[in-house]
Order: sequence, then structure tokens, then C-alpha cells
Amino acid sequence: MSGQSKERFMKPFIIGASLLFFIGVTATVVLPFYDEVMQRENANAKIKNYAIDSPEYRGRQVYIREGCHVCHTQFVRPVKADSSLGPVSVPEDYRHDYPHMLGTVRTGSDLTWVGTRWNEQWHRVHLNNPRQVFPGSTMPRYDYLSDQDTEDLIAYLMSLKPAPSTEGR
Amino acid sequence: MTAITHNENRVVRLFFYSSITWLLIGMTIGLILAIKYVWPDFLVWGEFLQKYLSYGRIRPAHTHILLFGWLSMAYAGGLFYIIPQLTRKSLEHPRLAHAIGILWNIYIVAALVTLCMGYTTTIEYAEPTWPLDVYFIVLVAGAAYICFKTIAKRNESQLYVSLWYFMGSLIWLPFLYIIGNIVTYFITGVPQALAGWFYGHNVIGLWFTTVGVGFIYYLLPLLSKNPLYSHKLSLIGFWTIATFYVWNGPHHLQNGPIPAWLMKAGVIPSVLLIIPVWTVLANVFGTMKGKWHRISESVPLKFVVTGAIFYLITCLQGPFQSLMQPSAILKFTNWIIGHAHMALFGAFSFVLFALFYHTLPSLTGRKIYSEALMNWHFWLSIIGFLIFAFTTWTAGVMQGFAWTEGKQYGVPFLEVVVSLQPFAIARAIGGVLMFIGQIVFAYNVRRSIKDGQLLSVEEKSTSTA
Repeated sequence: MSGQSKERFMKPFIIGASLLFFIGVTATVVLPFYDEVMQRENANAKIKNYAIDSPEYRGRQVYIREGCHVCHTQFVRPVKADSSLGPVSVPEDYRHDYPHMLGTVRTGSDLTWVGTRWNEQWHRVHLNNPRQVFPGSTMPRYDYLSDQDTEDLIAYLMSLKPAPSTEGR
Repeated sequence: MTAITHNENRVVRLFFYSSITWLLIGMTIGLILAIKYVWPDFLVWGEFLQKYLSYGRIRPAHTHILLFGWLSMAYAGGLFYIIPQLTRKSLEHPRLAHAIGILWNIYIVAALVTLCMGYTTTIEYAEPTWPLDVYFIVLVAGAAYICFKTIAKRNESQLYVSLWYFMGSLIWLPFLYIIGNIVTYFITGVPQALAGWFYGHNVIGLWFTTVGVGFIYYLLPLLSKNPLYSHKLSLIGFWTIATFYVWNGPHHLQNGPIPAWLMKAGVIPSVLLIIPVWTVLANVFGTMKGKWHRISESVPLKFVVTGAIFYLITCLQGPFQSLMQPSAILKFTNWIIGHAHMALFGAFSFVLFALFYHTLPSLTGRKIYSEALMNWHFWLSIIGFLIFAFTTWTAGVMQGFAWTEGKQYGVPFLEVVVSLQPFAIARAIGGVLMFIGQIVFAYNVRRSIKDGQLLSVEEKSTSTA
């Protein structure tokens, strides 16, 4: 086969493989980005739009650094398995989440609205040793966090409450 | 086919031996994670270990090392070995390829250290921070360039089907990686999750799957000594996988905060994936026709065929669990962990084990040290994996249904966690068997390099064929 016909073969191949790829990218990455529900914010998004250097913002960074998102999701689906978790999540809730904390596995329970469940003191005890409040829990102890980190993390967790306007969703 | 040159040999061995090292390290971390499920205070001995080996930090290290240290380095080594074979053209720029191998190892070390220190983007399978991403994209682009240049200058007029799969994967991987690691850096909220899952699913579908299928198509005719059943079927498989796989990302947010049209756009192509999978399996069974007895004689063939069957099961399971109703039960549970391990360990790691056993003699000039240890590797891997898989699947179904009964947080949720303890123990036992299997593998490879029986001249000329 001559060099030219090899070239002739490879070009359509590269174009075809790239084209199919970019059609998929357009449909599942680009178009959703421009969908209007993704561009709007609601009251929950405003609550979660923490000012840099607020305790909640710093707490969120601790949440990320320690990999809490590895075991805890933050989205509530309109399905039976999520029925007692609180208001169902909508795209607008996440407008300012960066990075998003949706998660993949519920090794621990969903934390979307964890701020409605416990108080600060409970979190202090639980983070220090989860088995003190939940015997048999498999969550790691976070007793190595500095006091500052612990308090920031608790401030973040307590902020995860639905805005009154979205309560009955 | 052409004998492998000295330079290629050096490159392929660097990639292969590095990948085996990362396999052992990645699986060690996996085992630590499995033990932490049973005994959360495992390794919490002093603040240093507690902090840097905390579950949330090492879990991404486990996935990253196995995806990019083990599988991807082994894949790159495989590409550098097979492409010259199929094109009858020596590898272009072998020195550059060697440098990429060294820099790749540095990348994995850097990723491991930064992840344990808590630097993470949180995007699954794209956790290392952006300077590392840029560094890695350069390596991948370099490897792709070497492969394409070799194929473009080929001496063989026929383009064997494996090359189609390799070329597609090498076009897609750099783009994928950029979308998952760089694009996600600039966007927020649900669109970021969608870009992240586009990458997360397609790095499996358009890199690990497509290169792995290319390896199956390369190995199967050689090991079974039958020609490939159908060239046309394999090409149908290629173009259907290229068409449907890219659309799979949104099913990771099934029932979640995304518009309904997007759920459909994610699920329908997931179901259509049955077509490319079936073409691969039809080809595997067609090629094996009349040669099934060879499975008892050849451990590599055993690995390839088992890997192909696990690939089929993964891709029957995947579309099923992406549907709205099954997803409502199975999503977020242990089931998904079993599913992910089946694709990456049961299917494509098995194909790689076959590739290693098949190619090592021509790389080292020596036979594999021990046939018995190869069998031990196979049986420990498969039994360990089946224990692991069935416990995670069963535990996942139990979790999913318990949650539908309202056990969603607090003490009721804890009850579910506690009731899963026997499964966590069984899962760790399965993991130990899988891990012992890999130690046997690494030991056998090590001994083969040093003490394997030398190939005779005649065997040397056929070993590369």
C-alpha cells in the first residue's frame, strides 16, 4: 500500500472517531451547561454561596480535604430510598457549589440537609469519636483535626439546611 | 511478525514492571480500605498514620493508582509492544517512550503523595490537582503521538482490527482527560458533575474498554490458534461503541438534579451498549469454536476468555442498573463497587495478565518460571474476586431495600451499617485472596526474568508471532 492510500485511510478514521466523540460531548456536557435550570440560582444556592474566609467556607474546605464526599452524598432524589431525607434536590441548589459535593456512594448517610438533624455539641462528640454516639459505626474518628478545623467543619455541616421557601418541596 | 528490537524491549519492560509494582501498591491500599470497613481504627496508630491514611484520603489514592499506575501503564506498555507487531514497523522514538515511562512513574508518586496530604479536586478518577493534570496530559499526548506515528509509517498494508481500537482510544483519552480535569476546573454545580461523570464513565468506556478489547482481539487468535471469527463484526463493534459510549455520563446522576431529557439521553445509549459488547463476545465465542480444549492447556487463554465473559456480565449489569427503577434501589450502594471492580479487575486486569504471560517470554528470552504459579494466580484471582463481587452485590441489594424502608439516617441507618458487617468481612477475605494472587503473579514474573528456562532458537522465532 502506498503512503498516500494509508493517509487516505487514517484521515476519515480520525475525523469519524472525533466527530462521534464531540457529538456525545455536546449532548451530555455542553447542552446541559446552557440549560436554563443550570444557570439559575435559588435560595438554597444563596445560602451555600459562602463568603471566602467565613467559617462555613473554611469548613467546606476541611470536608473536601478529609474526603467526606467519598462516603457521603449530597443529593436527595424523588425516590422511596430518599423519602425521609428532606426536600428533593434541584439543579438550582448547586449553582455555586465549587467543587460540587454530589458524591457517589452512601457508605454513610446523605448529608444534603444534615443541618436540620443535630446540633453543634452532637457533632463535636460524633466527630471526635463516632462510636460514642453510634456504636458499630464505621466512620473514622476525626479527633486529629485542630479545634479550629473542627469548629469550621461543624459550622459548614450546620449550614446545610433548606431555605424556608424550599421546605415543602 | 517482526522480532522486537532492543529499544522497544527496554521500553515495554519499563512499563510492564512499573505497572506490576503499582498493582501491588494499589491493591495494598484497597486492602487497607476493606479492613477499615470492618475495623475503623485499623492503622490509627499515632496521628501521622491516622491522618495520612484516613479513609477519605486513601480511597482516591487506591482508584487512581490502579487506574493510572497499574492499568494505564500496562496498557501503554502493551500498545508499545503490539503496535510494532501489527504494523511490522519498529516503534518510533523509543527514547521518548522510555522517558515517558519514567515521568509517568513520577506522576503516580506525586499523585499518591498529594492525595494523602488532602489535596483533591474531588472529581472522581480526576482527583489530583491541576498542575499534575497538565503534566499527565503531556505524557498521554506524547504516548499517543508515538503510537500514531508508528502506525502512519507501517509496513503492513492490512490494518488489523486491534489497531482501530487502539487509535480510537488514543484520540479519545487526551480529550476525555481534558474535559474531566481541566474543564471541570472552570465550572460549578451540576454541570461540573456532568463534565466529571462524562470523564469518569468514558475513561472506562473509551480507554480501558477499547484498548482492552483491542488486546482481546490481538491475543485470542494467537492463543487459540484460530483466525479471528469475523473482521466485520469487530468493526461494527468499534463504531457502535464510539457512537454510544460517549453518551453515558448522565446516568451517574440518574433520578438526581438533572432535567428529564438528559436522563433519557444518558440511559438509552447505555442500553444500546449491548450491541458492541455482543459483537465482542460473538467474536470471542466464534474464534474459540473447536478450540475450547486449549483452555485447559493455556493459562493466558483462560485469562482472556474469563476476562471477556466478565466484560459481558459487566455490560449486561451496567445498562440494567442505569435504568430509573433499578437505579433507585442500587445507586449509592455496595452493588456499584462490585460493578466497578468487575470491569477493571475481572475483565481488563485479566486480559492484561494474559498479555503479560504471553509477551514476557519474547521480552526476556525466557519461559515463564512456573506454570503451577500461573494457575494459582488465576484461581486465587477468580475465587477472590467472585467472593468480593457476590458480597458487594448482595450487600448492595440489602442496603437499597433497607433505605426504601426509611432507614436513611441516624440510628436506623446505623442498623443497616451494622447488619452489613459480615459482608464487609467476606469482602475483605475476597480482597485478601485477590491480593495473594497478585503477589504470586509478581513473584512468578520476577523469577521468570532471572531463572526462567531459556527459550530455544526455534521457540524464539515463534514466541513473537
